[in-house]
Amino acid sequence: MNTRWFAPSAGTSASKKGYAWALIFCAIITVAAMPLIGHLDLANIVMLFLLGVLLIGVKFGRGPAVLAAFSSVALFDFFFVPPQLSFTVNDAQYLVTFAVMLAVALITGHLTAGLRQQADAASLKERRTHAMYEMARDLAGALTIEQTAEIVRRFLFDALSLDVALLLPDEEGELRPVAKLQDDFQIDHRLALLAFDQGEPVEDFTLSGYGYGAGYFPLNAPMRVRGVIVFVPNSQNPQAIKEQKTLLATISSLVGIAIERLHYVDVAQATQVQIVSERLRSSILSALSHDLRTPLTALVGLADSLALAKPPLEATALETAEAIHEQALRLSGLVGNLLDMARLHAGSVTLRKEWQLLEEVVGASIQLLGRSLANHRIRVALSRDMPLVEFDAVLVERVLCNLLENAAKYSPPGSEIEIAGEMKEGFAEVSVCDHGPGFPLDKQDAMFEMFVRGAVESATPGVGLGLAICRAIVEAHGGTIAAVNRPEGGACVMFTLPSGTPPTVDEEANV
Amino acid sequence: MNGPAPNVVVVEDEKQIRRFVRSALETEGCRVFEAETGKQGLVEAGTRKPDLIILDLGLPDLDGVEFIRDLRGWSSVPVLILSARSTENDKIVALDAGADDYLTKPFGVGELLARVRAILRRQGKGDEAGPEVSFGDIQVDLSRRVVMRGGEPVHLTQIEYRLLCLLIANPGKVLTHRHLLREVWGPSFIESNHYLRIYVGRLRQKLEVDPAQPRHFLTETGVGYRFQSLNSN
Repeated sequence: MNTRWFAPSAGTSASKKGYAWALIFCAIITVAAMPLIGHLDLANIVMLFLLGVLLIGVKFGRGPAVLAAFSSVALFDFFFVPPQLSFTVNDAQYLVTFAVMLAVALITGHLTAGLRQQADAASLKERRTHAMYEMARDLAGALTIEQTAEIVRRFLFDALSLDVALLLPDEEGELRPVAKLQDDFQIDHRLALLAFDQGEPVEDFTLSGYGYGAGYFPLNAPMRVRGVIVFVPNSQNPQAIKEQKTLLATISSLVGIAIERLHYVDVAQATQVQIVSERLRSSILSALSHDLRTPLTALVGLADSLALAKPPLEATALETAEAIHEQALRLSGLVGNLLDMARLHAGSVTLRKEWQLLEEVVGASIQLLGRSLANHRIRVALSRDMPLVEFDAVLVERVLCNLLENAAKYSPPGSEIEIAGEMKEGFAEVSVCDHGPGFPLDKQDAMFEMFVRGAVESATPGVGLGLAICRAIVEAHGGTIAAVNRPEGGACVMFTLPSGTPPTVDEEANV
Repeated sequence: MNGPAPNVVVVEDEKQIRRFVRSALETEGCRVFEAETGKQGLVEAGTRKPDLIILDLGLPDLDGVEFIRDLRGWSSVPVLILSARSTENDKIVALDAGADDYLTKPFGVGELLARVRAILRRQGKGDEAGPEVSFGDIQVDLSRRVVMRGGEPVHLTQIEYRLLCLLIANPGKVLTHRHLLREVWGPSFIESNHYLRIYVGRLRQKLEVDPAQPRHFLTETGVGYRFQSLNSN
């Protein structure tokens, strides 16, 4: 990519050479034709000159062809038309010859030069297309933004003598150059931002660092503007931006597309990594869960089987067995909470939402807790007209179990625990209230943080995960959770679930 | 238990769990055969003519669901699954594949024996449930299609009645949402979970003392429903 395809076709040195060749060629024809005087008709010698003009036109273009046309007529007059070696003409009809000769020479030269120009333009176009194609191919193969910037920089420097800089937005939306800029490379950030925001090229006609106007072109890609490319012309080709505006716009959008592609490659990779790490996390968690539950299961079962031993064990031994059973179950509950929290935090929980009745999950929670609620009276007060609510039953059951367990743990035996539910402004609100001492006043919000407990050191077992799990689950559903102390005494935890629009149920014909 | 001692195959890779399950079952008068792997379990199931198979879902060599599908190809012996709590979906798949019930780890001997007894009792009774079923203060006369509550007739719609029949025909057994929807509403309703929720709710309103704390139509959260008559326990 070293030739300057886009530079004007003929430089001044090349045309000087053409004019010189035009004169030399005419001289050669003259010298060559001299010995033929007498053997050839003068008309044929005219043909030789015309041939010369044609060749000059083909080779060197319009200017030299015109020069050749005039010099041919002059040389023909001087050397061949009698009287020879003089511009005077004896026979007036030679004036017609001169006129026709000049006219034919000029027309031939003009036409051939035009043909040549068209051929040149065509091949220039072809080479330009090829170069663009090569750049597009390189861009398609680029793996990083830096590579893209380098490909564009090289192409534009070689082809158009333009210096170039890519500006891409960072996380805060600030435009930043991809590569380090040369010291004398001046960028007007206001203009860059203008081009970026408007999606239209902005030209800087004030003096840039080089003394020529820079162009700020937006990197338009299908999804959005990806950044700004700055073209700065240098002394070799000061007008490039004005002349090649369409081309530069095309290049800009090519670069934009290349950058967008890289962006989506990044996105896809990040997603891939996320999927893999999530899968890993959830498989670690389920392995952990299995590995922790297996010995706990054995522990619970083996403690139980002591009671079945024959001959029967002593009462104290049986009590010990019962205690082992209880403690193992408690440990299992803690492990369950820890694993749930880890799972919720790892984001590896997908909600299995279904439309269902809150009444059902309340009943299931009470049933599941069974014996741990035996010392309390449970009162369920759900309003009769509760519609279907969409939630993950397993997780909401977990919330209710944690709240009920807490209520049972922190309120005196024999007292009442109340579960109430009603619809409120697009939310289903459920509350679990007890008649215990209530929450410490300064801690009602902190209670939902991990490892925060009402009383720092207390005889009541727990690690302070229950409410944190509740909050994670409720928030995953798009609801809220709050703790208050009731004026009449006792703690109350309320949570909400968005009610949405329940699906319709076709009523069967009443039989 | 009367009659010959029931044979039980226990497929579980953890030795200590096998041990206590065996000792618990033996106090019930069962003959226990242990298998450490799924493949071995299938061999035992084929040779011991078991009355019950207790299967851990997390076997190292064979997926529990594959085990059940394989087994169901040639046997209808009841299967009780043991599974960890975090895997509702596995339970559903296993139940739909043909398992009869499940126990969530960790479980006590009491729960295990209750489930085993329920399954063996169902097995012994076969399908002859008799024309009259009663639970709590409810009597269902299947031949006359009449439901009475405390001597008063209760009006059920056709679908409510069909749902009730299906549930009381499988006492103690977990019926998955999909199974109930397919049997009561038909295959095109398999995804319409909310129908089931509504109708179970109505059954409870009509037949339970406290619909919010049901004693007979129990919820197996995330999995399905279980009917429990309580009369014979």
